[in-house]
Amino acid sequence: MARVVILGAGVAGHTAALHAKRMLGKQHEIVVVSPNSKYNWIPSNIWVGVGKMSAAQVTFPLAPVYKRQGITFHQALARAIYPEGDLATDSGFVQISYTDPTRTGEIANISYDYLINATGPRLNFAATPGLGPDGYTSSVCTSGHAVEAAKSLEAVIATLKTGKRQALAIGVGHGTCTCEGAAFEYTFNVEHELRAAGVRDLAEITYITNEYELGDFGVGGLVFSQAGFQTTSKLWTESLFRERGIKAILGAHVSKIEPGEAHYELVDGSTGILRFDFAMLLPPFRGVEMQAFDKNGQEISEKLFAPSGFMKVDADYSGKPYEEWLASDWPKTYRNPLYPNVFAVGIAFAPPHQISKPRKSPKGTLIAPSPPRTGMPSGIMGKLAVISINELIKNGPSAQVGTASMATMGAACVASAGSGLRVGSAASMTMYPVVPDYVAYPNTGRSLDDTFGEIGLAGHWIKLALHYMFIYKAKARFGWFLIPE
Amino acid sequence: MENPNESIARAPLPTEKTLRQRKNLVIQFFRFCSINLKMIKMIRKGHHPMERKVK
Repeated sequence: MARVVILGAGVAGHTAALHAKRMLGKQHEIVVVSPNSKYNWIPSNIWVGVGKMSAAQVTFPLAPVYKRQGITFHQALARAIYPEGDLATDSGFVQISYTDPTRTGEIANISYDYLINATGPRLNFAATPGLGPDGYTSSVCTSGHAVEAAKSLEAVIATLKTGKRQALAIGVGHGTCTCEGAAFEYTFNVEHELRAAGVRDLAEITYITNEYELGDFGVGGLVFSQAGFQTTSKLWTESLFRERGIKAILGAHVSKIEPGEAHYELVDGSTGILRFDFAMLLPPFRGVEMQAFDKNGQEISEKLFAPSGFMKVDADYSGKPYEEWLASDWPKTYRNPLYPNVFAVGIAFAPPHQISKPRKSPKGTLIAPSPPRTGMPSGIMGKLAVISINELIKNGPSAQVGTASMATMGAACVASAGSGLRVGSAASMTMYPVVPDYVAYPNTGRSLDDTFGEIGLAGHWIKLALHYMFIYKAKARFGWFLIPE
Repeated sequence: MENPNESIARAPLPTEKTLRQRKNLVIQFFRFCSINLKMIKMIRKGHHPMERKVK
């Protein structure tokens, strides 16, 4: 019997856990370690953040699902990995600290035959002084944050209804943030809500981002065909901003937040202050605080993790200049090169380079959107790790494992505003592949047949359908595995 | 670096007809089917490599 330990129960970890139990069956043990008691379908936090959904609609308790599936669940935080074991055991293990209210602070070691690191990110609000719910800005990264954001937005709308003008700043709170698509989506949800409340004319909305151009989305922008022409996501997004009367500050590193003020530096070295009455600024991500030790207890974190704190896998981390990178540098198996029974999937793996061109201000400040690796790619990676482990268990260490590079997988992004079936709109985008491959697609880096953007109510229906479909799948209801990642 | 708001001010605006089409239930139903088919095609393409490997 093999034991597969999965760290994290987000899209990647939870997908891996359910598929592991389905594929490996009762003869192997599946263990999930997550500090959270609930699953959160994060894409719908955007709707929670404007008060259109409750936290209960985007979350559900993990324990009953895992109990039904026969998966062992520890509500705990992974603190350290011992991939070689220690002096007492040769088996790799993970040291965990319980966050379960009945066992808070209790430490335990869980041995594994295979480890899937799907811890997701640490929300690094500390990178920008004053950023985040403990500072002066809101966030929609967790359902709890989104609930608080909705309350702040409600207060702003109440003030607007008194006839007083208000400034709203939405975007990212650091030069190295990712998830610009989520900030974009939240911007248009807020705009929609202000319009619905009849106060849009009194509100000034500014989108502040580290993207050098609108429509970059951390993937270097998209080219797609529309009405017989090749067009860019830049033009497409600018059109949407013009239509909705939203201003933008681009290529920005937010350096400090003070009450009602976001201080920023631009790529060209100029600085400015964006004044706000309401701000939702996403934080940059780091790897979670987890150390690694060898058999003798010597710390080997630098061998296992990149400086960003994310785990190294089978990518090219040689640090070539941006212009020399290839799609083939991206990981394919997500196995750690030193410890091949350890996988890192979703946000937890260290990307080899940015997809968007990194830039520095004259002062040397890095302003570079980090590559997104959430949602569909995360789910695919989680399933892939399980397929590979299944092969390794059945056929031994020399078994051929699966591959799924982000340079051969696509992603869909539906930025939807509104609620219900008749009121709302959405910007729907797909891209294939996520990481541009200029060898396979010399002109645009992506397939023009599979990369498109469209605005309309249909996208809103798709986003609603995805919400219910993926929560159904995550609850492991009948036929869940037929729903693709 | 160009002022992004100048670039936004020059971006194409949708016509009234386009805005109506974006809300028209019949048109959007067909768009819904079309977008879903495109997404399914893209998803199948992305899932294929790993599943082919392990057969």
